[in-house]
Amino acid sequence: MGGDLVVAQSSNPPSLDAMTSSSGASRNITMNVYETLYGFNEKIEPMPILAETVEISDDGLKYRFPLRKGVLFHNGKEMTAKDVKASLERYRKVGATGSLLEPVESIDITGDYEVTLTMKRPTPTFLEAFCSPRAPAVIIPEEDGAAEVNKTSLVGTGPYKIVEFVPDSHVRLERFTDYSQDTRYDGRDGFGGKKTAYLDSATFRIIPEPGAAVAALQAGEIQILDQIPVPAARRLEDNPDIDLYENLQWAFNVFILNTNAPPTDNPKFREAVQVALNMEEIMGISTEGLFNLNPGWVYPGTTYDVGDLASAGYYNQADTARAQALLKEAGYNNEEFTILTDSNIPEHGRSAVVIAEQLKAAGINAVINQVDWPTALKLRMEDTGWNGWTLQMGIEPYLGPVAIMSTLTGKRPHFVKNDEQLDGLYQELITGQTSEERKATFAKMQTRLYETFSIIKVGDSGLMQASRSSVKNFKSFRFPRVYDIWLEN
Amino acid sequence: MGASAEGLDDGLSLRTEMRRARRRRLGQLALRLLNHRSFLIGFVILVFFALVAVFADLIAPYLPNKNNYRDVLTPPSAAFWFGTDAFGRDIASRVIHGTRVSLGIGFYVALLTGIFGTLLGTLACYVRWLDALVMRTLDGLMAFPGVLLAIALASALGPSAINSIIALTVAFMPRTARVVRAAVMVVQGTQYVEAAQAAGAGHGRIIFRYILANALSPVIVQLTYVFAVSVIAEAILSFLGVGPPPPAPSLGNIIADGRTYIQEAWWIAVFPGMAIALVVLGLNLIGDGLRDIIDPRQSSQH
Repeated sequence: MGGDLVVAQSSNPPSLDAMTSSSGASRNITMNVYETLYGFNEKIEPMPILAETVEISDDGLKYRFPLRKGVLFHNGKEMTAKDVKASLERYRKVGATGSLLEPVESIDITGDYEVTLTMKRPTPTFLEAFCSPRAPAVIIPEEDGAAEVNKTSLVGTGPYKIVEFVPDSHVRLERFTDYSQDTRYDGRDGFGGKKTAYLDSATFRIIPEPGAAVAALQAGEIQILDQIPVPAARRLEDNPDIDLYENLQWAFNVFILNTNAPPTDNPKFREAVQVALNMEEIMGISTEGLFNLNPGWVYPGTTYDVGDLASAGYYNQADTARAQALLKEAGYNNEEFTILTDSNIPEHGRSAVVIAEQLKAAGINAVINQVDWPTALKLRMEDTGWNGWTLQMGIEPYLGPVAIMSTLTGKRPHFVKNDEQLDGLYQELITGQTSEERKATFAKMQTRLYETFSIIKVGDSGLMQASRSSVKNFKSFRFPRVYDIWLEN
Repeated sequence: MGASAEGLDDGLSLRTEMRRARRRRLGQLALRLLNHRSFLIGFVILVFFALVAVFADLIAPYLPNKNNYRDVLTPPSAAFWFGTDAFGRDIASRVIHGTRVSLGIGFYVALLTGIFGTLLGTLACYVRWLDALVMRTLDGLMAFPGVLLAIALASALGPSAINSIIALTVAFMPRTARVVRAAVMVVQGTQYVEAAQAAGAGHGRIIFRYILANALSPVIVQLTYVFAVSVIAEAILSFLGVGPPPPAPSLGNIIADGRTYIQEAWWIAVFPGMAIALVVLGLNLIGDGLRDIIDPRQSSQH
């Protein structure tokens, strides 16, 4: 065993300070380096990782986390309650999703290896939110607790440690020889489990050009390709040197409408957009054929699945005539409909092109504003200047309704102007006592989304990954796990 | 001026004679150009693409932006001459329309570069005190490599066809202005210009009738190169995503769409690439021909 592995991904990690970034490009790397108290297992249920367990008081106000003993940081020091408190206090301040600790009144050290969270009010969804890998609440040494964003020593407790970071080029990880395996489990499981670092080193290389990345894979310069274009995967299907991994529930493709700027401030106009779209064509082209049509706002077969509730007559209609009638009703007068999209995530750009053509056919004056991804993120925070925004939501649908709906409610929802009814339902969702109650609330929220048409569900898209066949035991997951895999010639 | 009827007659016949002579010279020039083999080849190529561009709507078998997800990435066939791209769009139709976009941008850049370059070059030379100001400003612009400046400008202005034209014009105009200035300087010192000044001709008449008329040949040659370089530069801008925004079928956009699929669907990038190569070849051949025949510096060497 041993050996050096190279993983290629298209985007540069904006940060390796894991808790401060919700970027997938960062997560791909940092989840091999840092660990959390709790995380999701393969079935998206909370599992203890650095915590022994959690004891929740009957009134739901105290969360007692006993810690695993003998867990070492990459700097050789042992993890104790002090480190955990410092990490969580830092998360509150600089965590990219620091608001998930909002229900927490205080974080107290209740033993050398024990931390207790006291809540302001019972929050039944807290533990799930706390597991979120979006911007993970990782445990770092106490010394880094006061560090500014991106100023930590990049030390974690994971099976690999960061030894080199050259932005826009690569991040090099080396095996952490004193890694404390979690022997409660048989093997890796989701974000936790018993992790075994077989490889001596793993390098994440940034290759923005998909064609170049595929060529590098074929040449054997890289061993794992985080995302391979589907046509290239089809071509390599029969290549004995290449293994392919298909992950069908990878992301939601959505089309967000700006409810603040004309003409999309008019619900009738938005309804016209909804019924004009041909989801099958948008998904087929944007995902290169790797998709499922799904009008619902969770994945089929998951806990909160309410099927195609409320979408009948609205989803995948491709009804130009009805759209035109609605446009007339809305008093639409050929105002420009600007679709914001980017060139970095190919699915975004392709969706925008197909959507624009379909809307033009319905008589909407659609124009595309294609910029780079950071600019798109900036522009969409403007209250006007854009009408539609093509987005792939990766991590939120994986996390479930609370994560999705949190982006659609509050002061600044994705569609700009908040919907009070939806905001109310969100509060009901996060305070629902049982999953049945929460599911009933979620059903109301899905219905509401098909009344306001402020965000349009286009479909579920898959992810195709590839590796050299010398890579053994690799399994597609939310990030490429470089532990528990090895190279064989 | 002679007021007698006879004098007027003489003047008229002299003018007619001059006009005839000019027409004769133009005829000879055309003949010499058509006898120049590389000019002729370039001319035929350019006329072909110009016709394709003008009649794109009639020639193209499909609408250039028509998606068809049942026919994505199909190789060239009778139904799709140049195959289809990842959107199922017909590459032949896109290349035909793309020729219109790219040639259009190239043409306008050459035209605007010509107008502004001539204006500035002439002004700098004719109005002495403006010379240093104008030329140092242009030197400043020329400090940047042309294409790089165009990329920077186009990204600052935002992606659109008009902004591409503006960016490329700004990038290529200084060079043209220099050529004009050099040519004007030579002509300005000639005796016939002094004679015209002595005869009391106005500034406009001197500039247009005597100076520019005799200084334009190197500029025309230069503009064919500007045209060619603009077609390439447009492709570069589009390829980088700062040209006409998608789904506009400019040749650079089509190539950019094809780069991801170069191993699976070579036809997406190859056909527009060939179109660019041919257009640029045509323009360069024309430029070479023109230089051989109308540029006085070159013809004096014969």
